[in-house]
Amino acid sequence: MSLADLSRYEFARPASLDAACRLLSDREKKGARTVLLAGGTDFMVQVSQGGAAEGPLPLVLDVSRIKELACVSFDGTTLRIGAGVSYLELQRDPVVREYAPLVARMTQDIGGPTIQGRGTLGGNLATASPAADGVAAIAAYDPVIEVKSSRGTRKIPIAVLQTGYKQTSRAADEVIVAVEFRAPAHGSAWCWRKVGTRLAQAISKVAFAGVAEVHDGRVTRVGFAMASVAATTALLPNTRELVRLTPLAQLTAAAVDAAVASDVSPQDDVRSTRDYRMHTAKAVVRGFLRDLGAPV
Amino acid sequence: MVDAKKARETREPVVGENVVRVDGAAKVTGGARYVDDIPPMPGELHGATVRSRVPRGILRAIAFDPSFDWSDVTVVTAKDVPDNVVQLIVDDQPVLAAERINHMYEPVVLLACSDKAKLARAYAAVTLDIEPLPAVFDMEESLAAETVIWGEANVQNRYLITKGAADTDESEAAIDVAIAACEVVVRGSYSTHHQEQLYIEPNGMIAWWDEAGAHATGSLQCPFYVHKAFKRCFHLEPEQIHITQAVTGGGFGGKEEYPSLIALHAALLAKKSGRPVRIIYDRVEDIEATTKRHPSRSWIESGCDRDGTLRALKMRVMMDAGAYVTLSPVVLSRGVLHAGGCYRWADVRIEGIGVATNTPPNGAFRGFGAPQTIWAIERHLDAVARQLGLDAGELKVRNMLVEGDTTSTSQTLRGSVGGTECVERAFEASDYLARRRAGPSVLGRKARGLGCAVFMHGGGFTGSGERMLKGKVAVDLLAGGRLEIRSGSTDIGQGTETVFAQIAADAAGIPFEHVSVAVPSTTHVPDSGPTVASRTVMVVGAIVERAAKELAARVEASRRPGETFAAAGDRLLAKEGPQSALVQYEPPAWVNWDDKKYKGDAYPVYAWMCDVAEVEVDLDTFEVKVLNFWSAADVGKAIHPLMCKGQLEGGSLQAIGWALSEEVVWKAGAIVNPRMTNYIIPTALDAPPFETFLVEAPYEHGPSGGAKGIGELPMDGGAPAVAAAVEHATGLIINHLPLTPERLFAAWLNSEAAQ
Repeated sequence: MSLADLSRYEFARPASLDAACRLLSDREKKGARTVLLAGGTDFMVQVSQGGAAEGPLPLVLDVSRIKELACVSFDGTTLRIGAGVSYLELQRDPVVREYAPLVARMTQDIGGPTIQGRGTLGGNLATASPAADGVAAIAAYDPVIEVKSSRGTRKIPIAVLQTGYKQTSRAADEVIVAVEFRAPAHGSAWCWRKVGTRLAQAISKVAFAGVAEVHDGRVTRVGFAMASVAATTALLPNTRELVRLTPLAQLTAAAVDAAVASDVSPQDDVRSTRDYRMHTAKAVVRGFLRDLGAPV
Repeated sequence: MVDAKKARETREPVVGENVVRVDGAAKVTGGARYVDDIPPMPGELHGATVRSRVPRGILRAIAFDPSFDWSDVTVVTAKDVPDNVVQLIVDDQPVLAAERINHMYEPVVLLACSDKAKLARAYAAVTLDIEPLPAVFDMEESLAAETVIWGEANVQNRYLITKGAADTDESEAAIDVAIAACEVVVRGSYSTHHQEQLYIEPNGMIAWWDEAGAHATGSLQCPFYVHKAFKRCFHLEPEQIHITQAVTGGGFGGKEEYPSLIALHAALLAKKSGRPVRIIYDRVEDIEATTKRHPSRSWIESGCDRDGTLRALKMRVMMDAGAYVTLSPVVLSRGVLHAGGCYRWADVRIEGIGVATNTPPNGAFRGFGAPQTIWAIERHLDAVARQLGLDAGELKVRNMLVEGDTTSTSQTLRGSVGGTECVERAFEASDYLARRRAGPSVLGRKARGLGCAVFMHGGGFTGSGERMLKGKVAVDLLAGGRLEIRSGSTDIGQGTETVFAQIAADAAGIPFEHVSVAVPSTTHVPDSGPTVASRTVMVVGAIVERAAKELAARVEASRRPGETFAAAGDRLLAKEGPQSALVQYEPPAWVNWDDKKYKGDAYPVYAWMCDVAEVEVDLDTFEVKVLNFWSAADVGKAIHPLMCKGQLEGGSLQAIGWALSEEVVWKAGAIVNPRMTNYIIPTALDAPPFETFLVEAPYEHGPSGGAKGIGELPMDGGAPAVAAAVEHATGLIINHLPLTPERLFAAWLNSEAAQ
């Protein structure tokens, strides 16, 4: 019902990243609330699901057209993806398809074509839903998140970005600018497996992202992440360690299952059950390891 | 596709042709005005409904926040309702709750305001003081009647069908003896869950009053249901009530009885405020408050010979009506009438029980009780086949009713029995028997399997329903030899307008483009009976055909040599004034139904169908993907083959959704997932490729060469076919819907534990 309130929101569309940071800083000093709007795929849902609006409404600050947020680049080592690039653009970007194919593949499973055309990695990282496919996919690459404010720029490792359910260490005056990560060796193995409620317009019950560089039967670089199995995007540290330290041929299903179980804490909710999620989390990790040659 | 120009000149028949839908262009270009697209009337207010939010209790008081400015908000409570009853079958449902609260979403207070944002704040400024009472959510708990929530013992309805041995004894003794005498006895229990119709646009109504009386327009299937509800609630004369259908994007039964309540709410607010009032439900309110498919539980015990010849059936079906009766007796009736499936049983005892729970009333939904019982009987036959070591498809074919056989209600099938051909076509296209024999194919962590369902669905109202209903249509002669059909049957996306025009054009021998269909408005059209029960084409279409023929004959009789039909028509109009044919439906004289014994011709005719589903089950995640879906349906005569196939495939997809992903999740009487993001209907990506064959075994009383009703038919088979395919692929036997990955996983755990 509060969609009727939408017209009452104040709206600003700064021309540059600096202007956005200044505006955020000013409002922050006054104690005034601001909402950053990228694709709006979370914000619009919040507005339509919220009750009757109480108190002053936040300023809606549209960052979707800021140029600094819109680039994808690769310098031969590091891939940088602007926070404002839409999933559809990522899907079509030749650099992303070449050096982070997992990310390009993942975008096909987000919502439907219209949501893919609006949703952004920056938005997913900011709202920090543990069910976000985009965050899980990018987290497998162990990226840093570049944020900027009028106080300066800092880079937050993905592992410390999320501080709790839908909570991040981003300060209220900071804008997420880009994610950066060292691309895995060209042609490395990767896996994206979304188990959703249906094939489109689905929130993940479990989604798994995995990247691995394999040399002589050993995994030399590994990145795992999983959506919807904990209060935050799960990075599966114990499973990563097990895989890094054990030759693939010596991995066992039981060891993998135990490691995954120690890394996730799924819950019952409207979409699925704890037990199913636990089972599926183990199964999708083992599926990837099987593809790498492990007897699991 | 008919060349329109050529058709005009040469008058080629249009029945059997895929003419362009008359409503198509407006819908695909966005020009069609659904209820909330209708521009606001001067002074119009938005209406909202304050609901109980307690599943059962006693309403003690309603508090309106004194600090809120109520000056421009219209408030309606039960005290403002002239006759506080929603007219339907039993007078148990109030328009607004006065004292008793019987479900979580019971409407209690209505509000209207010109400012939508203020309306939202007014809504928050109303507090209901409800003293909670113990609530009942479970059917068996309701039947036990330790807490009485409806009538004397929570039971709303009972039906008993008997045949053969069971005729002699009302108790269960006779059927028990008959079953015990059989070589093989199989027992099982089966259940089905709620389903939301999820039409395109949520329910909505606009109402206003003027010197002509009360008006309402909105998304609806049955304008005369709303008309009757107004007559009762406001004590108006019939001519003071004007109910008009707006463009309606799907109903599936969900806009059969519920729109009456919303229209009454809007009209109450309009009466009190003196302004037009628009109530549009959003998706959440629609899913929470409006009707859904009745959940069911069935217990079956059957006896057969070792060779698979079925003998005796004992079945008990229980359905959850929800808090009020609404249409539940009729749903339960259709459920028990279809419960024996399309099979030959010598001895039958089928008992139906409808019980109340403290959930929103369940109501009409495509299939109307039959998908529930056909799920049970089809899964049961799969179980019988398993026990006999036969393929389920072979068992079903061996026992299928053919012409001359008698159904569970002792009805002798008199023709238009196309079931065998349906099975042959679907089995052949899918290579069913060979692939079933070959067993499941397992590739890596994915297993594929096939399953089938065979079923029939009665067309038109049950038993003596059509005789009591006396549906009528009128056809008017317009200038230029054109005809206009006036009917209370609504086009809700299923193509009624197009098909009626095809029927009338061929009946009158005039071009398709010369036939129009009037907007269904109770002031201008006769009551054709509701748009439900697979009756629109078969029953109402038949009288459209008769009326068009009758009127055309009148023109022909006055036609001079060499004169065109149009010129003759115009001359007739000039000479004798308006020309119209009003025709009333008469069921075939041989239809003989005993309402007391529940015996006889339950339906004049049945449509038949065989579905074969192929699924792939992910053995890691238990996701089920329907890879292929083959169907063959005996539709009597396909008037518009493309739309006919569209109905069949759409219905099958709705059944697949019900089987695999749709689930209303409840918590203490409240719906936890009232959104399209968490009530999971299939998307286009989830839809399998459909291969659908039309079989035509004409029904002698159907229009245009024998059309039968098929609107509900395809809803019956998808779920059992998919479940049988999952069993073939994985060995997992699921008798309780839905087959979500979580439930398959749980079943797999149980089977692992058992081994």
